[in-house]
Amino acid sequence: MTTPVVGDVVDEVAFPVEAGKIREFTRATRTTDRRHTDPAAAHAAGFTDVLATATHVMVCGHHRDQGAMIAKLGLALERVVVGTVRWRYRRPLVAGDRLHGTRRIVGDETRSTSKGTLRVITLATDFRDDTGESVVELIETVLEKGLQG
Amino acid sequence: MRAPVRVSVGGHVAPASVGPITATDIVRFAGAGGDFNPLHHDPEFAAAAGYPGVIAMGQLQAGMLAGWLADWCGVEHLRELEVRFVAPVRPGDTLTFAGEVNGVDPAERLANLTLTASVEGKPVVQATAIVHVAD
Repeated sequence: MTTPVVGDVVDEVAFPVEAGKIREFTRATRTTDRRHTDPAAAHAAGFTDVLATATHVMVCGHHRDQGAMIAKLGLALERVVVGTVRWRYRRPLVAGDRLHGTRRIVGDETRSTSKGTLRVITLATDFRDDTGESVVELIETVLEKGLQG
Repeated sequence: MRAPVRVSVGGHVAPASVGPITATDIVRFAGAGGDFNPLHHDPEFAAAAGYPGVIAMGQLQAGMLAGWLADWCGVEHLRELEVRFVAPVRPGDTLTFAGEVNGVDPAERLANLTLTASVEGKPVVQATAIVHVAD
């Protein structure tokens, strides 16, 4: 297996933004804006269909193989935690959008800490719609603690 | 489109609480988002991993915080959100959300906010957001 380097594509994912999945996410996150679940409210606000919730792209968990991602990066799952997650929005997502996300390594460094080494990997997923426009970017920082001496 | 919110530096987002978080909440989110790491639903696996019981996936509390924020500002006005996971959330915990406006760029009509989800006064998620706001 070759060692992954900054710029490499980790994985790609494609999925539709579905009204039913938006409803599930809305309920699971206790979000109350009716424009996520009521098409009439969304239309009245000028949108073509119900709006996705802010973290909706996390549904890509259904379409990604996280185990394969961990293996590809050469990480030990039991020592891995997610540090930060950032979403950058270019426009709101609505039901009917079709997204294609490409996840790349944008940072990979090992730091020394008082508790040992810490590998910090930054992954960025650029989600584009059918027109090729970038609509949401997801940036995840994954931390792997070093083996205890 | 909803009208953007009107803010001032030092102003607060109205706080809110969600909970107690139940195992059902965690399983419901797993089904919504597709995170089936057994740490979040299998008590024996969680014990083997060194936890006293299952813990919520960070995206549950992040999604709830994001929902609370977007209910206030309108999801179409959210430009950026960053969350940092600082402590686990367990069934029985009640999350309390708080947020403050730190700065406003009047030319771009963008506000910077700091946000916190806490359990019994201790932060479990620390976050920042950039929101499009009114003149």
